[in-house]
Amino acid sequence: MRTFKFIFVFIVLLSGLSFAQHPRDMKFAPLDFNPPEPVRFEIDNGIVVYFLEDHQLPVMTVSAYFHGGTVQDTKDKAGLSNITATLLRSGGAGPRTPDKIDSDLDFVGISLNSSAGDEYFAVNMRLLKKDTDTGFEILSDMLTKPVFDSSKMELELSNKLDEIKRQNDDPRDIGRRVYYQTVYGDHPYGLYPTLQSINNISRDDVIDWFKKFYNPDNCIMAISGDMTVDELKSTINKYFGDWKKSNIKIENPAPAQQTYKPGLYYAEKNINQANFRFGFLCMTDKNPDRFAFEVMNFALGGGGFSSRLMQQVRTAAGLAYSVGSYFYARPLGGTLFGYCLTKADQLSQSLKMMMAIITEVKENGITKDEMELAKESIINGYVFSYDTPSGLVNAIAMLELGGFPSDQLQKDLEQYQAVTLEKCNEVAKKYLDLDKIALVIVGSEKEFDAPLDSLSKAVFKVPMEIK
Amino acid sequence: MKQIKLTALIVITCFVLLFCTAWAGEKQPFPVNEIKLDNGLIVLIVERTNAPVFTGYICAGAGSAYEKIGNIGTAHLLEHMMFKGSETVGTSNIGAETELWIKEDSVWARIDKANRLTRYIKMNQPEKLEEHLKYIEDLNSILDSLAKASSQYTIPNEFDQIYTRHGAAQFNAWTGYDITSYHVSLPSNRLELWFKMESDRLKKPAFREFFTERDVVSEERRQSVENNSESKLFEQLIATSFLAHPYQIYWEWQSEINNLTRQDLQRFFDTYYTPSNLTIAVVGDVKTDEVKKLAEKYFGDMSPVDNFEPIYTEEPEQLGERRVNVSFDSSPAVYIAYHKTAFDSPDEPVFKVIGRLIGDGRTSRLYKSLVLDKQLSLNVDVAFFPGGIMGDRHAGVLNIYSEPKEGVSTADVEAAIYEEFEKLTTELVDETELTKIKNNIDADYIWATYNNFGLAYRLAITQNMTRDWRNLFKLREQLLAVTAEDIRRVAGKYLSENNRTVATLVPIKKGEDQ
Repeated sequence: MRTFKFIFVFIVLLSGLSFAQHPRDMKFAPLDFNPPEPVRFEIDNGIVVYFLEDHQLPVMTVSAYFHGGTVQDTKDKAGLSNITATLLRSGGAGPRTPDKIDSDLDFVGISLNSSAGDEYFAVNMRLLKKDTDTGFEILSDMLTKPVFDSSKMELELSNKLDEIKRQNDDPRDIGRRVYYQTVYGDHPYGLYPTLQSINNISRDDVIDWFKKFYNPDNCIMAISGDMTVDELKSTINKYFGDWKKSNIKIENPAPAQQTYKPGLYYAEKNINQANFRFGFLCMTDKNPDRFAFEVMNFALGGGGFSSRLMQQVRTAAGLAYSVGSYFYARPLGGTLFGYCLTKADQLSQSLKMMMAIITEVKENGITKDEMELAKESIINGYVFSYDTPSGLVNAIAMLELGGFPSDQLQKDLEQYQAVTLEKCNEVAKKYLDLDKIALVIVGSEKEFDAPLDSLSKAVFKVPMEIK
Repeated sequence: MKQIKLTALIVITCFVLLFCTAWAGEKQPFPVNEIKLDNGLIVLIVERTNAPVFTGYICAGAGSAYEKIGNIGTAHLLEHMMFKGSETVGTSNIGAETELWIKEDSVWARIDKANRLTRYIKMNQPEKLEEHLKYIEDLNSILDSLAKASSQYTIPNEFDQIYTRHGAAQFNAWTGYDITSYHVSLPSNRLELWFKMESDRLKKPAFREFFTERDVVSEERRQSVENNSESKLFEQLIATSFLAHPYQIYWEWQSEINNLTRQDLQRFFDTYYTPSNLTIAVVGDVKTDEVKKLAEKYFGDMSPVDNFEPIYTEEPEQLGERRVNVSFDSSPAVYIAYHKTAFDSPDEPVFKVIGRLIGDGRTSRLYKSLVLDKQLSLNVDVAFFPGGIMGDRHAGVLNIYSEPKEGVSTADVEAAIYEEFEKLTTELVDETELTKIKNNIDADYIWATYNNFGLAYRLAITQNMTRDWRNLFKLREQLLAVTAEDIRRVAGKYLSENNRTVATLVPIKKGEDQ
């Protein structure tokens, strides 16, 4: 990685600040920071390792990532990726029974979690240096000799069914789920497990799934901590050197297309708030317009108190505690959505206010001051991507996993610096697809301050039965 | 504000953190430096150079437990108002703003009085009700127009914008029961900005946009408690568990938020946001000398008043099991609470070990029994309330939360929990299990220092709660000294039927209670 410099041209160095100076006028030199550079190496079977040596504390963090994840699930077996990841951790490995793994890890305080992300699987471990051998031995057994104990399999499936039966308990969960189901439709991003899909999953499915994804030539590791590079290389070779290559290449499914009908999607729940989210599909994480779009969204509703949605709906009108907009730049198709939780009888008032703000931004853009605040915040805050060794090494490894060049963080920074007001306002016009809005409302219609059909031309009632 | 001469007595103590057995013989890189200003304010500093950033963490030694009936919610609303800036940040004309606020407050006082009259007018002069309600409505319009007038002098969210512009991370605050915390992480060359901003709001706060923020706090309650089944159940558990102590109020009641005044906040601020009741920790890429200089410059002139009003109430002994049912549109769950000790009790470290024994990880007693072996529950969580890292200023509770699997009753889950507690009071924990817990304590003490925020948080809270940050590391020694016999004794003393409260979530079936 090349040298990072946090340079922003408007910053003027002033010294000898006076006591009476207003904080808004305090200026600081750009931060001159060269983050440590992780080492990258590969071993014969294809494992890519990023390592950041750090001897401040006698600890290690180890993550293993695999292309795959929940986007690989199919509708009839939705949930398979999650079950596989969970059972990998709880189903025993090598000579150890499930209980033995738990007790060996817990005895020395090693934390080891296995999970399925959207486009990858992850196993994350943290441990004290003195327990390196125990940790790597178990991690290696898990990745190369998992058992998938059938009684644990039964328990995981049965717990998953119970979780699905509880999926309408929390209004925030409902809002999130219904929004993604709506805008992504049948695309894997919109897929959620059902009682039926979980019942379709067999132990053989889990084993096949494991064999397909958890392979050394599909693996990127991010490791930090109290070891030398040579020590780590021999540790990796000792525990993972015999792991056989698969020659399976994992591809992501096709990007999401809009299949939903714009309109209002009503999910009924007996609560005293209206919990709503509205948005549309937009660009992927590789679109060069994303930098300007991110800056624009910061001013619109992504920048907390410094954004228009928070400023007007919360600070000025007192209508909500949580309100804003979020730009989720995903590899297979992102989305931008506004969200708000407000007292049920303030629904239409809040919604109209938010729609007016987003329309104003689309039509007339943001201001130069707003753009500069957003850019400065993003650029000055960049250092926090690197403030711990594990944070830094994982961020770099994730770049390769996501198909970005290793200097992308630096490039991102340059791209943010290069954003202009014209560009922000151009992307606002281009991508804020207001006639494609899907509006999801969770709450109780009879408490709202307006009938649903006054809020949208098309109203769809979301079925809440659990199947 | 009166200027105090800056001849602060600076006590700098270099103290090597005590948790070195895990890597005996190796150099511990984080000494803690302590500064005490003349006015009583304590600043703790740890210099760490891994990245050019730092965390600033401020504790005020009072939270919601210090509110009085009639102004419940003050500590929380005050925490929100501290983000509104100060007499200099967030305003274009503080004089004009202040004048309008005084008018707002007097209009609110009339609204409040009129609101209280309404019930008597309804009862005794119903013919005048309409006129009376119109009067209230008119006053509310006046209040709105005053708020609008003052807003022309307000620079909205300027306090936030300044930090945001400089790349702030972890910028937030939280209201606890004993302590209220304010924290932010910044690039390290913004150290002076941090001192300027924080001292500004702590010396000259300005409670602008007051009445709107009351509504925001109401909405926060709706979102966090009223529409969240676990919080709702917990609120009832705590209210039932405490008869007398102010810990009984988990979250301010809606009716109290709506009647808070600026004077309530000012009184609380004057009483508790004083130098001797504030603690600061600065951890990261900073120099102690520089922090010392800036602390004197920006906080040295705070008046050394000490008018702390303590809580005298003690929770009376519980005389028998208490139970409460909560009907809600959600699946079944059970919450159980046992009264325990305060931070300074010799039993406190034993409780912390018991908490780990029953609730920490997949091999903990309750997870193993309820989730893995008997397969009665989906999950089981063990925590303390209020749950400070050093314990709490007053005796709190140990609480257990569990969601039963379908077809399992909460009574079955309860029975399985009590069975485990029975074992704790009759059988001694074996050495392997105790060693496991102690290994985890060791590991956690090391991980606690992994980032600036974690260390700053622990140091500030410990100093504020116990008046000596070294207790953070003394506690480690006390935890490692806990014996199997201690566990049996403390479990026997506290984990009894008479000392427990049980809250059960009873699902509302569709069609009921509509």
